[in-house]
Amino acid sequence: MSTQIPGVSTEQGLKTEDLVVNIGPQHPSTHGVLRLITTLNGEVVKDMEPIIGYLHRSKEKMAESRSYFQYQPTIDRVEYLSSFFDHYVYVSSIEAIAKLKVPKRVQYIRMITMELNRITSHLLWFGTFLLDLGATSPMFYAFREREEIFKLFEDLTGARMMYNYYRFGGVNADLPVGWIEKCRKVIRNLPDRFDEYEAIVTKNPIILDRTVGIGKLDFQTCMKYGVTGPSVRAAGVPMDMRKSNPYCCYDEIDFDVPVGKYGDVYDRYLIRIAEMRESVKIIEQCLDKIPGGDTQNILNKQAEIEAARKAAKERGEDPKSIPDIDPDWLTQGQKINLMIYKPPAGEVFTACESPRGMLGCYLISDGTPKAYRLKWRGASFSNLSVLPELMIGNLYPDLMAIFGSLDVILPEVDR
Amino acid sequence: MSEEKKENNSGNASNKETAEASAPAEKQPAAAEKPAASPTPAASAAKPAAEPPPPPPAGEYGQALEKAGIPVKHLGKDASGCEMIELAPSDVIKGATFLRDEAGFDLLLSCTGVDWKERRESVYHLFSTKSHKFLALKVPAENDHSPSLVPVWNAADWHERESYDLMGIHYDGHPNLSRILMPSDWLGHPLRKDYKVDDPRLVWNER
Repeated sequence: MSTQIPGVSTEQGLKTEDLVVNIGPQHPSTHGVLRLITTLNGEVVKDMEPIIGYLHRSKEKMAESRSYFQYQPTIDRVEYLSSFFDHYVYVSSIEAIAKLKVPKRVQYIRMITMELNRITSHLLWFGTFLLDLGATSPMFYAFREREEIFKLFEDLTGARMMYNYYRFGGVNADLPVGWIEKCRKVIRNLPDRFDEYEAIVTKNPIILDRTVGIGKLDFQTCMKYGVTGPSVRAAGVPMDMRKSNPYCCYDEIDFDVPVGKYGDVYDRYLIRIAEMRESVKIIEQCLDKIPGGDTQNILNKQAEIEAARKAAKERGEDPKSIPDIDPDWLTQGQKINLMIYKPPAGEVFTACESPRGMLGCYLISDGTPKAYRLKWRGASFSNLSVLPELMIGNLYPDLMAIFGSLDVILPEVDR
Repeated sequence: MSEEKKENNSGNASNKETAEASAPAEKQPAAAEKPAASPTPAASAAKPAAEPPPPPPAGEYGQALEKAGIPVKHLGKDASGCEMIELAPSDVIKGATFLRDEAGFDLLLSCTGVDWKERRESVYHLFSTKSHKFLALKVPAENDHSPSLVPVWNAADWHERESYDLMGIHYDGHPNLSRILMPSDWLGHPLRKDYKVDDPRLVWNER
């Protein structure tokens, strides 16, 4: 009885020993390839060390060997669930360096697509998070709506997930004729569908048991680890880039930033559902306010101007006396040759509010067609680093609830 | 052992470049591009200014730091209006504590290394949840060593590890400075400008 082996304790006459469990890198619930070296004392997590890097694809080095435009398609792969946001920060950082003017219609198209993308991202989170907790049916509901939005994206950009749609100072193409009406139809149904989800999940006693009071994250801990996004809003702090540092035209839109109270897993779930409802509100306002309205309207106007110019020429007047189309209606501000585009030398840090938190892009340009240095500040990278703090002292079965509620996406962590 | 050798080699290479290049590194590549200006309007807009720019004015937080007795190098503002300052490695802990406690920069967004060929620096991006302002804090890495800011912002932990992994800046005082994205037995630091893939284990790459 007197010899004490390190790491082995004797409680109530039973010999107990810490158990090291290696979770991952291939694990269905890690949403990518993440390895967690977990030390367990019974069912209680004693220590946890996340090992990342299995998905490192050297996106930052790639930026230094490709022209700005060539690099653009690869951005979709930095974070494939909400790649409109990555494109936005990249494109807006070049616009900031080169001081390119962006037409208002483009800003609105970007806001609509980003908010739709936020909904698809949250829907996928909703499905997979509940799947981790053992509820299989919400996944099918979530993917039904997600597919409808993907059809809109396919109509607009030609791709379901890898969009590559934004351009420096504009977008690739205008909205297809009738797209706004189609989008309205999809959006109109969504709040009812969210009610449906909440009817299944929000008051479900099993879900409540698994989520309420678990994985509490307060504001100080969020700041300690650099956590942003829905997790910090669930802790009761309305920290949202769209409100605090409005980009695009978010300052013209009326929307709320939902905040939680306790910062637990359940609050993070409620926040994301509330955010999807807010996104629907934003998209509805954008569709009403978009300069130029439906594309058919713009085409008609262009035909009108051309006809008027032709008539003026026949009358012997100067055709240039007929004014051009409103520059806010265009989909490209300044005409630039994308293939050889060189922004002036300079550096910039731009950030936006992605579904996972603050997404940043630090770009140094030296005036050549290639970026000198490009750094992605993915929200998931910091959000993942808080996981050991949340898990230590908690039960092992809560791992999937807590990890799932952080909404970490590994390609963004490893880049 | 082999890793040390590699680092020594790259150090020599950068020293040679220092001897050749005497002009400041930021301006040099831009000036080299000047004769190759193409006829597009976008490219002509990218032409760098001929005369050297005047020293950038002191920003709000740079002045506050100076008032607190911490020497600051003002670097002006970046293209999105975020203030940039540079602190000497000896003052950085004091300055960072001031920025956190007095200026309200409670959130460290990222830390990254930038390779200017003859010198390297780490750039910290800070955000204040009260004033909603960004700040870029630059710290030159002397001989690739820089004081770690983990004691000030715990969030710097993983970011500094990434910067060490990809750029090879050693953060003195970091609790666990190890590779984070690359495998632990990787040679060299891939984001350096002089990085070459000459790992004998990767010969299949050249086929």
